[in-house]
Amino acid sequence: MESSSNNSLPTQFPVSHKSFSLNIKGNKTDIVICKYDDCFMVMATQIGCMGTILHARKEESVSTDPTFHVAVIFGKRDEPFLVACARQLIEHISSYGSTRPLVLSLGLKDHSPGSMKEIIYAVIENRLW
Amino acid sequence: MASEELEENLSELQIGENGEKKPVENDVSDGAVKVSCFTEDLQDVTLHFQIVNFSKQIYAWIGCNSAKLGHLYAAATTRPNNNVSVTSLLGGTSDNTGSSIARRIVLKTGLNVVVACNIPKDSPMLEATAERKLVERLASLGYFRPKEKHSN
Repeated sequence: MESSSNNSLPTQFPVSHKSFSLNIKGNKTDIVICKYDDCFMVMATQIGCMGTILHARKEESVSTDPTFHVAVIFGKRDEPFLVACARQLIEHISSYGSTRPLVLSLGLKDHSPGSMKEIIYAVIENRLW
Repeated sequence: MASEELEENLSELQIGENGEKKPVENDVSDGAVKVSCFTEDLQDVTLHFQIVNFSKQIYAWIGCNSAKLGHLYAAATTRPNNNVSVTSLLGGTSDNTGSSIARRIVLKTGLNVVVACNIPKDSPMLEATAERKLVERLASLGYFRPKEKHSN
């Protein structure tokens, strides 16, 4: 896995990012993670474009257990594992204390749970939150 | 001649002494997705640009004085007649800032485009400047369709 980030450049660009590639079940997967002031963006692609774009946010609730809202804003709306992937990541973001929403784009050849898990692991390993 | 070209290329990579242009590029080699980041200091605003080059799509973010994502738009050529269509993905208002930039990039490159832009409303000059800078960078990255075909 090769990765790069802009955290060590002399002039600090306000948006930090990480970009890396890995092999998931024989498919080369490019992942880019960006940290904006008001959200996180994660892009994972095997097909050369962003694919389906999802938006996940933590909802303010009265009870102690957090609730989350995940929606597909562009692309496939009938792939539940894409929504599950976004749900996992926003919960992870929330568990690290951040309330920022997540914009997740998944352009995948394979929508199996195994691929989703590997993508989630890779994103969490290289997280910016 | 070769040394002049080398000096020109190096000067583009270095941080500008007058502070106007600060290219901050981070290339990822060997076929991975390329992320380009640069900043343009104008008289009263600072524009930040981030371009992610996928093989079949472009993602661009334009930040005006801040690092907020802003409104998200997607644009692509659609049937019939390959006319360009734009839709707002996040933001949800009828505000046009960013959508016209997305549309014109599709016209020039022919690729699908996703643009995020936090330029404030009612700033046509700022929007035009941002679009010009973005287009310049996309041109230098080789994204524009060739207008003439040279026959040899």
